[in-house]
Amino acid sequence: MKAPVSWIREFADLPASAGVNDIAAAVASVGFEVAGIEGDVIDFEITANRPDCLSVRGLAREARTAFGGQSPGSRVPGLPAVARNAKVGPESEVPVTIESELCGRYALALADVTVGPSPAWLADRLTACGIRPINNVVDVTNYVLLEIGQPMHAFDVARLAGPEIRVRMARAGEALTTLDRQARTLDPSMLVIADAARAVAIAGVMGGATSEVSASTSRIALESAWFQPASVRATSKRLGLKTEASARFERGVDLEAATAGLACALDLLERIGAGHRLGGITDRYPSPAADRAVILLRSRLDRLLGDQVPDADVMRILTSLGFVVTPAGTDWHIRVPSWRVDVAREADLIEEVGRHWGVNRVPATFPALRTPPHRADAAVLRARRLRRLLCGAGLQEAVTFTFIEQAAAEPFASDSASLVTIANPLSEKFAVLRPSMLPGLLDALSYNRRRDIADVRLFEAGSVFSTQGERQRVGWVLSGARQVHWSQPLADVDLFDALGVAELLAGAFGVTCRSEPAADAPWCVPGRAAALFVDDGGASKYVGIVGQLLPTLTSARGLPAGVTVVGGELDLHELIDLQGANAAPRRVTPLPRHPSVQRDLSILIDAGLPAAAVRGTIQANAPATLVDVREFDRYHGKGVPTGQVSLSLRLTFRDRDRTLTDAEVQQAVEAIVEALTRTHGTTLRGN
Amino acid sequence: MAASSIEDLSRQFRAALDAASSPADLKAVRDDFLSRKQGRVTALVKSIATAPPEERRALGSLANALKQDIEEALDARDAVMLATAGPKDAVDVSLPARRPWVGRRHPLTQVRERVEDIFMAMGYQVIVGPEIEDDWHNFEALNMPASHPARDMQDTLYLSAPVPAPDNGRAATLLRTHTSGMQIRYMEAHDPPVRIIAPGRVYRRDNFDATHTPMFTQVEGLVVDEHISLGDLKGTLNAFAEEFFDAKVTTRFRPSFFPYTEPSAELDVECQGCSGRGCGLCKHTGWIEILGCGMVHPAVFEAVGYDANRYTGFAFGMGIERLALRLYGVDDIRMFYENDLRFLEQIAL
Repeated sequence: MKAPVSWIREFADLPASAGVNDIAAAVASVGFEVAGIEGDVIDFEITANRPDCLSVRGLAREARTAFGGQSPGSRVPGLPAVARNAKVGPESEVPVTIESELCGRYALALADVTVGPSPAWLADRLTACGIRPINNVVDVTNYVLLEIGQPMHAFDVARLAGPEIRVRMARAGEALTTLDRQARTLDPSMLVIADAARAVAIAGVMGGATSEVSASTSRIALESAWFQPASVRATSKRLGLKTEASARFERGVDLEAATAGLACALDLLERIGAGHRLGGITDRYPSPAADRAVILLRSRLDRLLGDQVPDADVMRILTSLGFVVTPAGTDWHIRVPSWRVDVAREADLIEEVGRHWGVNRVPATFPALRTPPHRADAAVLRARRLRRLLCGAGLQEAVTFTFIEQAAAEPFASDSASLVTIANPLSEKFAVLRPSMLPGLLDALSYNRRRDIADVRLFEAGSVFSTQGERQRVGWVLSGARQVHWSQPLADVDLFDALGVAELLAGAFGVTCRSEPAADAPWCVPGRAAALFVDDGGASKYVGIVGQLLPTLTSARGLPAGVTVVGGELDLHELIDLQGANAAPRRVTPLPRHPSVQRDLSILIDAGLPAAAVRGTIQANAPATLVDVREFDRYHGKGVPTGQVSLSLRLTFRDRDRTLTDAEVQQAVEAIVEALTRTHGTTLRGN
Repeated sequence: MAASSIEDLSRQFRAALDAASSPADLKAVRDDFLSRKQGRVTALVKSIATAPPEERRALGSLANALKQDIEEALDARDAVMLATAGPKDAVDVSLPARRPWVGRRHPLTQVRERVEDIFMAMGYQVIVGPEIEDDWHNFEALNMPASHPARDMQDTLYLSAPVPAPDNGRAATLLRTHTSGMQIRYMEAHDPPVRIIAPGRVYRRDNFDATHTPMFTQVEGLVVDEHISLGDLKGTLNAFAEEFFDAKVTTRFRPSFFPYTEPSAELDVECQGCSGRGCGLCKHTGWIEILGCGMVHPAVFEAVGYDANRYTGFAFGMGIERLALRLYGVDDIRMFYENDLRFLEQIAL
């Protein structure tokens, strides 16, 4: 709301020494941020709760109070005094009917006018406030809007069918060309002002072109009404049409200002020689608002502010703002002025006192802790641990958008019907909620590769979405060299690097994960995808996936051809549930007191035989003293028959209570070798 | 194959060892005798398999003893050579090291944890919750009924179809515009006193440019008890500002409006770039706005079934990106979402 200081001063006797900047600062300090100052004009930001300050008089009330109250006898800049008698007299000749509760009040008066330009002082004020002068009649309505906050509209009576005014709901498909020359189609949710034949204005939003005041207009009907805020807001939103009028109506106009506005406008028309009133004022006001009274308790005021504002200041502040204050013992009975639509209860009054007393004056204290504090949510602590773990493992944390492109999401969703889409996205780039952490991470990786950063290892933990709901996951992508050093050739990361991250994470949750070939992984290179499972009370539970990303996908996201990207994703909910199930404290097992014995085994196996099968056979045929089996070499090529690979394993044996003998270890190894041969037809590699 | 050949081998080794005068020589000796493929001792051990069965055991233990002797002698000589290594064997320590990979927490995470830590030390519980919310938790319970103009302050992104909530609660219909929904959820489940902060991602239908982003990170706080005052709010947030900026800072509370607090205020800290004189950083105002706050509106207490006559409380909310911009001296908010390693690797570990 732009307002010239000279206009504000007409209603608030501010200190003569106060300059524009002082006034701006004083009003800003009570809650009206200043967006700019140009000469005499201050542009105030008015919060949504204060429609009364979308007017010069409203700002004057705040300004005079901010300057500490008033010289004795000065009046609160409320509604113009003429309002008191405005209703008196015969009604105007144009009949008014209200057919909907959405119109709380409708006042109308006629005037004979000579349309022409406004005097310079009036036009200048409108211009200063950002409203373009049009002609003296329209300018008068806008002047009243700015001065007291009451939107008004002038109809050319000659162009009203009847002439009469009906405030009714629009008919389905009813058409109206508004003052901005837009043809609009209305619907029955919208309140309109109609004449005997058709809609002539959208109530509280904008008038129609056909009944617009023009150079040839000689008689006008002036409307000053009150429309229900929610209705104006809905209509304005639906039409995508915001006006000075709708901005005020949707926040709440003063119900008592309707006739005051008319009186003001008629008076001003007369003053500038633009016309004069014809007949009486019609005032349709079916259920007049009751006076609003609120009790303010001294004890509550002190308790909420944490400060004791002296009685005199409470009185001064509230009175200066237009509240009628009656002391009652240590408390106050307060009548709320009609323009303060935001004040309904005690807390609202405490805010008024606090605002003008000054929040900065309230002494700072610190609240006592009366009960023992709690630790952070388990999810918070877990996320922290997980981030530190992955950072320590050499992955950089990324933060990517939760909403992504449909095309980027699809390869990572179980099916596109399960994607959660946004009804009103900013753009196609932000149209669906991510079904996986991977598309965002892939884009971040691609962003870096395109900037010649070759070695990228990223992770992100956060929410993913499907039509089933929101879940927590952690995802990671790796690309580039595994190690970079002059002493050794560069080797790119591969699937096993990505798998290692999964195992590390599972370990952090106290579980061991097992991988199996993943058949159904649309984003993975076939044969380079592993589904991750953990034991859940005997059953196998799927917890995530690791794979090498399809080259078609990586190139679609801008990565150069030939760049290998591996990645994976774990569902944290699944791991947390498991952890919950085995949440028993992680007890340590006593350290071994006897030495272990290691035996290496090199066997030839079919190339297609999974290492897990070999390991399984070994474990099934070994004594309990076999504590570890680890593959340390896998070789095919020279010396190994085609279709076979040489697999070397290190077996570690140990007994809790004694030192194992060579003989028993040898016997165990022989049994294992025999079982391997029997089960898989493996042969020992010669040594 | 005989015991004598084992002795021969031992003599040959001694001679070779004596002749070795450099680490390279020593390595050659080691390979000559112990190499897994062509080592002479290895060959010897293999040949034992062909010896007559009655000799195998004795030969085997002789061979093993020899192998052990040779290993020990080589190791001892290695140690001596290392201890007396000359300059020509020195490693060029100016060559690049083999540095372990290490990642960093994202700057937004670091700032968020910094904020969390400060409030945790003040006895706050950190709680987190869903990013897709229902209308009740995001708006209604926070004194923002459907037609409330304040809803325009937070332009909302809506879901095309409702998504079920995990706890069979109300289905989610929108992306939360603030984490205040968590305050409601917490109060619905717990009686006062309350002392919580709720960090997390929030969403608004804002353009993506140097100063706006449709997704950002927020930390909101809530304290409810029988005697919580505006003074307590001030004391708490002043303490926070000093901890966060790690310096004495001058603060200013400006009255403002939020539907869920009353009175409401915004907290400014004096611009550290210009000590309040005004500079580009603070748009020449001398102040930087860091958060919004206020006393909990009684309508919010009524929505969650708290006795609004008995309890008072304060709430506050801050944007992590804004704090991070200040802390790192970044002037384009988009940098936080590009994940450019050249930027991220400048952030402290």
